[in-house]
Amino acid sequence: MSTSKKVPVGEPTFCVLLVIFSLAVLYQAHLISGFSSISSPGAFPLGVAAVLLIAALRVLWELRGKPTHGEGWAASAKRLSHEHFPRHIVVFTLLSVAYLAVIQWASFYISTFAFLVLAIVYLRRGRVLSALMASGISVLAIYLLFTLAFSVYLP
Amino acid sequence: MSDTFSYLLMAWMDPNLLMLTALGTFAGIYIGAIPGLSVTMAVSILVSFTFSWDVNDALALIVGIFIGGVYGGARSAILLNIPGGPSSVATSFDGYPLAKRGEAGQAIGLSTVMSVIGGLIGTVVLALAAPLLGDLALKFAPRDYFLIAAIGLMLVGSLAEGSLAKGIFAVALGAIIGMVGMDPVTAEGRFTMGQMELMGGIHYVVVMIGLFGVAEALFQLHNLSTQAVKQKVDKIIPSVAMVLKFLPLSLRTSIIGVLVGVLPGVGGEIAALLAYDHAKRTVKNPTSPFGEGAYEGLVAPETANSAAVGSAYVPMLTLGMPGDAVTAVIIGALVIHGLNPGPMLMVENPHIFWFTVGNLALANIFLLIFGLMGIKLFAKVVELPKAVLIPLILVLCTVGSYSLNSSMTEVYWMLGFGLLGYFLKAFGFQMGPIILGVILGPLMDSSYRQAMASVGDNPVELLGEMVSSPLSLILTSALVLVLLSNTPLFGWLKRKRKAASVQP
Repeated sequence: MSTSKKVPVGEPTFCVLLVIFSLAVLYQAHLISGFSSISSPGAFPLGVAAVLLIAALRVLWELRGKPTHGEGWAASAKRLSHEHFPRHIVVFTLLSVAYLAVIQWASFYISTFAFLVLAIVYLRRGRVLSALMASGISVLAIYLLFTLAFSVYLP
Repeated sequence: MSDTFSYLLMAWMDPNLLMLTALGTFAGIYIGAIPGLSVTMAVSILVSFTFSWDVNDALALIVGIFIGGVYGGARSAILLNIPGGPSSVATSFDGYPLAKRGEAGQAIGLSTVMSVIGGLIGTVVLALAAPLLGDLALKFAPRDYFLIAAIGLMLVGSLAEGSLAKGIFAVALGAIIGMVGMDPVTAEGRFTMGQMELMGGIHYVVVMIGLFGVAEALFQLHNLSTQAVKQKVDKIIPSVAMVLKFLPLSLRTSIIGVLVGVLPGVGGEIAALLAYDHAKRTVKNPTSPFGEGAYEGLVAPETANSAAVGSAYVPMLTLGMPGDAVTAVIIGALVIHGLNPGPMLMVENPHIFWFTVGNLALANIFLLIFGLMGIKLFAKVVELPKAVLIPLILVLCTVGSYSLNSSMTEVYWMLGFGLLGYFLKAFGFQMGPIILGVILGPLMDSSYRQAMASVGDNPVELLGEMVSSPLSLILTSALVLVLLSNTPLFGWLKRKRKAASVQP
């Protein structure tokens, strides 16, 4: 049996979060100017927020009756992690967050070089020398292209 | 007239512009062909780098990348069975079987020539239709703009891959993001949650870089270990007889491309799929069965998606409404350069329009040159490991976001939108409708309020005007039709009609 017809693991929870988010957006839209006038600054945002909420509810409604994987919490969490958050994506994302956090403190070129080396070595599972070369060439190209040719301000 | 002619040939005569167009087209072919890199991603990042440039220089590079990128997607579709972008999905149906049969060179050569034919037809349509539509657009009332934007958003939402509800959600989400910040009329904060930092709004280039750059890069990490299938590519230039044989089909599918491209919000991917379907229905004796390496199945989508490029500029330049996701980004580029895409652009800055027309034609010529050569270099670049490419994309996104305001705030927004985009993509939401919502949402808001103010906040009178003015009536009917086509009623009527036609 094909698994593609089944509700992807985590989608119902994500859709519930979208409904909650849409309710928050609707509340924020109401705060702009309430229902004071049909052409007030909040009138159109209120309408769009209502559409957002209806669409989110509809997405959630469409999941009803579709077969699920029928697994327990632990197995679902494992499947979710495997399908949407495999380890290499999580590690790369954390590495990216760390890179952006230190970019100004450690200077752009040093942090970029370190980020590229670490990310390439991790994603290619080794090959340190080629990662060092690729990162060095990339940083040099960024300097030549963005500092000299494009005259862009770098972080 | 002589001014028009000089604007038209500006990119052809100026060595700098000539070089930038060539560079853009060349780079575009490779960007479009490398799975994981998209034209929208490249143009989004490029906009932030080029905002200090002269507008013509920036546009020349962007136009080149757009033309090259749409075509480039076909190469990886043919050689690797991995479409470089959504507009090349239909190309892989017959392109890859052709490559497996050892005819990859012929397939690439024919797709190049057909893309150029489609691209030039799209450019001619832009040159002829935009001035007419521009004149007409000057007569548009705010309610007409509201209606056109609503049609565009409905089309985008309903044609997005997956469910209609997800498409509509994406469009509405984009519109909300576009409205964050100070209200342009009353200076009241909207969706700012009391934060002063949000009063200036969220820069839409940051949203674009986040959704098309970071989210796409993270998503591509799923396919990190996909190995490229190497194909033998020999003779690439197609014979004149072969081109002439498929010319009638290419002209027909170019018209499909032009018509689809000109609709606000609908671009090359829909044009290519419709053209493929048209070829399947109308070609009685294809060179091979469709799906098994029919040249007709290659020609149809390739001409259509290239023809849609030129015509996507029509609503953008005349109405300020993007024809597809890339033109949505280009609107951002024009605004950054102090231009206002819309009916007044043709009046105030006609040189931008004629320059774009000339530049599109020039980019197509470069496409013909670069498309028929450099295949060996191409094979090497396409095989660049994603493990090197993806971290580099993140660095480019960071530099692009920072350069907008020389501030890390934009970079953090970019990361936030990247992560949001990743989650949305993972659960089947499309990024294109969000971007179109960001652009069209505020436009709809202002035209709605102007329309309401013009009738003294009387909705009944506004509804009356929507059906009493001939232009508004056409647009209202189109909107109702689009809305109805997405309801169960339409499906029920179709089934009834089919059942009736089957009965004796």
